Amino acid sequence: MANDRIKARKIRVLPGFKLTLGFTLFYLGLLVLIPLAAVFWKTTTLTWPEFWHTITMPPAMASYRLTFGASFCAALVNVVFGLVVAWVLVRYEFPGKKIVDALVDLPFALPTAVAGITLAALYSQHGWIGRSLEPLGIKAANTQLGIFIALTFIGLPFIVRTVQPILEDLDPELEEAASSLGANRWQVFWRVILPMLTPALLTGFALAFARALGEYGSVIFIAGNIPMHTQITPVVIMQELDMFEYGKATAIAVVMLVVSFVLLLSINVLQWWTNRYNTHNLA
Amino acid sequence: MSVEVKNITKKFGSFTALDNVSLKVESGELVALLGPSGSGKTTLLRTIAGLEFPDNPGVAKVLFYGEDVTSIPASERKAGFAFQHYALFRHMSVFENIAFGLRVRPKATRPPEGEIRARVKKLLDLIQLEPLAKRFPSQLSGGQRQRVALARALAVEPKVLLLDEPFGALDAKVRKELRRWLRQLHDEIHVTTLFVTHDQEEALEVSDRVAILRNGRIEQIGTPDEIYDHPASPFVYDFLGNVNLFSGRVKDGAMVIGGTEFAAPDTAGERDSEAVAFVRPHDIRVTRNATGPALPAQVIRANAAGPVASLELKRLDSGESFTVQLSKEVFQELAPKAGEQVFVELKNVRVFSDDYSI
Amino acid sequence: MTPVATTFHAAPQVVHRHTTSEPPVVRRLLISVALAFLSLFLFLPLVYVFTQALAKGFGFYLETLRDPYAWSAIKLTFIAAVIAVPLNCIFGVCAAWAIAKFDFPGKNVLLTLIDLPFSISPVIAGLIYVLVFGAQGWIGLKFPQFADWLTDHDLKIIYATPGIILATIFVTVPFVARELIPLMQAQGRSEEEAARVLGASGWQTFWRVTVPNIKWGLIYGVILCNARAMGEFGAVSVVSGHIRGLTNTVPLHIEALYDDYNFTGAFAVASLLALLALVTLGVKTWVEHQHARQDKTESTA
Repeated sequence: MANDRIKARKIRVLPGFKLTLGFTLFYLGLLVLIPLAAVFWKTTTLTWPEFWHTITMPPAMASYRLTFGASFCAALVNVVFGLVVAWVLVRYEFPGKKIVDALVDLPFALPTAVAGITLAALYSQHGWIGRSLEPLGIKAANTQLGIFIALTFIGLPFIVRTVQPILEDLDPELEEAASSLGANRWQVFWRVILPMLTPALLTGFALAFARALGEYGSVIFIAGNIPMHTQITPVVIMQELDMFEYGKATAIAVVMLVVSFVLLLSINVLQWWTNRYNTHNLA
Repeated sequence: MSVEVKNITKKFGSFTALDNVSLKVESGELVALLGPSGSGKTTLLRTIAGLEFPDNPGVAKVLFYGEDVTSIPASERKAGFAFQHYALFRHMSVFENIAFGLRVRPKATRPPEGEIRARVKKLLDLIQLEPLAKRFPSQLSGGQRQRVALARALAVEPKVLLLDEPFGALDAKVRKELRRWLRQLHDEIHVTTLFVTHDQEEALEVSDRVAILRNGRIEQIGTPDEIYDHPASPFVYDFLGNVNLFSGRVKDGAMVIGGTEFAAPDTAGERDSEAVAFVRPHDIRVTRNATGPALPAQVIRANAAGPVASLELKRLDSGESFTVQLSKEVFQELAPKAGEQVFVELKNVRVFSDDYSI
Repeated sequence: MTPVATTFHAAPQVVHRHTTSEPPVVRRLLISVALAFLSLFLFLPLVYVFTQALAKGFGFYLETLRDPYAWSAIKLTFIAAVIAVPLNCIFGVCAAWAIAKFDFPGKNVLLTLIDLPFSISPVIAGLIYVLVFGAQGWIGLKFPQFADWLTDHDLKIIYATPGIILATIFVTVPFVARELIPLMQAQGRSEEEAARVLGASGWQTFWRVTVPNIKWGLIYGVILCNARAMGEFGAVSVVSGHIRGLTNTVPLHIEALYDDYNFTGAFAVASLLALLALVTLGVKTWVEHQHARQDKTESTA
């Protein structure tokens, strides 16, 4: 039937759908997905016991504990201070606010190697901060504390930048309503504002955590990379690569990839949850 | 000579926006598509513009003056479309917005720069916005933006002008001004025009004919007088104004309400059965002493604020309440008080045969 | 919270404390905490880079930058960015157009896939290219003819410039797309539809209506993409091979100097990248300002 021919060609008002979607898929496939598939291809060259042995060997296990622990603590600290920074930037006026606001993104813009050597030097025995910590018996260079500091630096903008827009859009009438109902300022914050910020805080936490897990450049200089003690997982992978142990490197990479995928998924769910509260603003 | 659609069906997922709709608009006519939200009126307009395409190509047809444009894309259809939220290009001045349609023509058919300027100037004159030519859309009021959107659509000399809720986003006063202006404009330039609205007053005041849509179908089409005075269905009756319902019994050409018989020509030849009569609030006469067939009722509330006075009444027999509208003079003469008993005479009683509830 | 009335004045003046603000003490405390935290983690390191860079004087600073190894690192970094940024820009525009202007199944999956490179450790990003192109890599084992062809034409990928470019592209894939997708989704389709009804062709619609509307988002995405492309360390480190004067990018050169205990030299080169970061932040703030102004005029009218 002639009708079917017309029907088969779905008419769209705006052009370029096939071209742009086609290019998008081609580009992603060629540069991201196929190379990623190579990881799983390489893993199949290992037997299951080999694979299990590699991902559970003591240096790897120690690195997981360290990477997860330090990333978690850093993200948690950032949730607290990130919220304070976002609050101050949205609600208060003070001289130099615009510059401070712009500089919050520094960890995004500053190359990780630069951040890495700077933090390492700052916290070394002779550095500006390391020097004053030494008498207190606190050592940051070549310790897990140093790793935590580097990861805090890296994760800082994530919480500020996810909370800030939500805080800006918060309808002042909500707070006014709450205070007119007799809530004091702390109650307003705790019972009205904080619950509305929770999804954004969680999203920011997850983003900072995910970024910290894979971080390499800013950590390696301050960490000292002592096996079993201050070696993060990406460094373990790097080490296997340097010894041309591609199979082992890949096995550990698979563990990290799986964690990354799970985190990415939960971040997407969280972001959907964050926006759920905001749909009425969009309408 | 006309703009015509035939047998258009369009679904969005499981929702049927248009269900086999056909409509013919004569050359130079101004037709309103009136209906509640979700009735398919905007989809019909977008289909005529070529922004949506029917699900049943081959059967469905869109004809511009006899020419089949069903599968012609929007960019070649030469329909002028004014969007509900105007869709003005925010980075272009008023002038450039209006000139856009001329500037994007291929070299061969593009008018020379001088002519483009002259035509835009003429349109600016027409919409009375010449002093604002250099402004950007963000610097205009809602009513001004709407007029620019209209001028932009007219610049390409469209075969048909399509307006999606042209006054929907404006406040009441600007709305009234602008719709009078639109009517004048149409009388001046006589371009075949369809516009979508959910405001019955707007549709009745501005258009030559009104098509009433419901659930993706055209319920009735006719001149404003025809559809107001002779609504084809309870839906149309209800949609066009306030309604009072009186339950009673049909008795061949009459309606028996609370023991009183009122003339109801609709019911001629119908079997004796239970029915509901529709009466407009201004078709009820209130008296203290009944002279003809009348129904006793009690005054619940009287309100004389506004241009017309209104009474809320209760039937003494069934307790059903209803509203009456009356002029200020009549109201003052009658001076009704809450609680007192009066008689009401019903005029233009309508009874629809199929079951219907509001 | 009750308003405090002062009775000393003839006309009683009521000192209003707005119900949606905190007492001045709390306010000052919070500002101090925020600034102290930011000083420790942001301002101090930034100042430190520049003081260390100039620790041995301006002469030494210039000498470090004039070093041929530094020069070749700068050139390589530029080459990688000049190829990666435009490619990812084209990709970003295509992806945003397809996703924002059309409806199709699997859109959310595609969005997640675009984000993927952000959630993968840079070390793994480098690793995957080694697995594909390296010795005993996928290409070598599964497509030996292609591998031979590469060797015949003296085309090395891993431990050479192409590998560095590929790794750079990988880590910067999402930048432009992520800026443009929400922007174009928020702007909707009606302006483009209006252009089409007025007779504009696809290209005309894109260049005259879409591009002017997304230009700020595009600039924003491009500068962030460029900053990351020039500063990438982990991924590039894996595929580079660290051959001085040949496959060292600027960040790798910094590492090399640092490992040689030439700290002042390392910070001198690092100061270049820190400057780039500051410029990036400056442009970013400026673009945001432009954008906000545009939004403001739109909403007030």
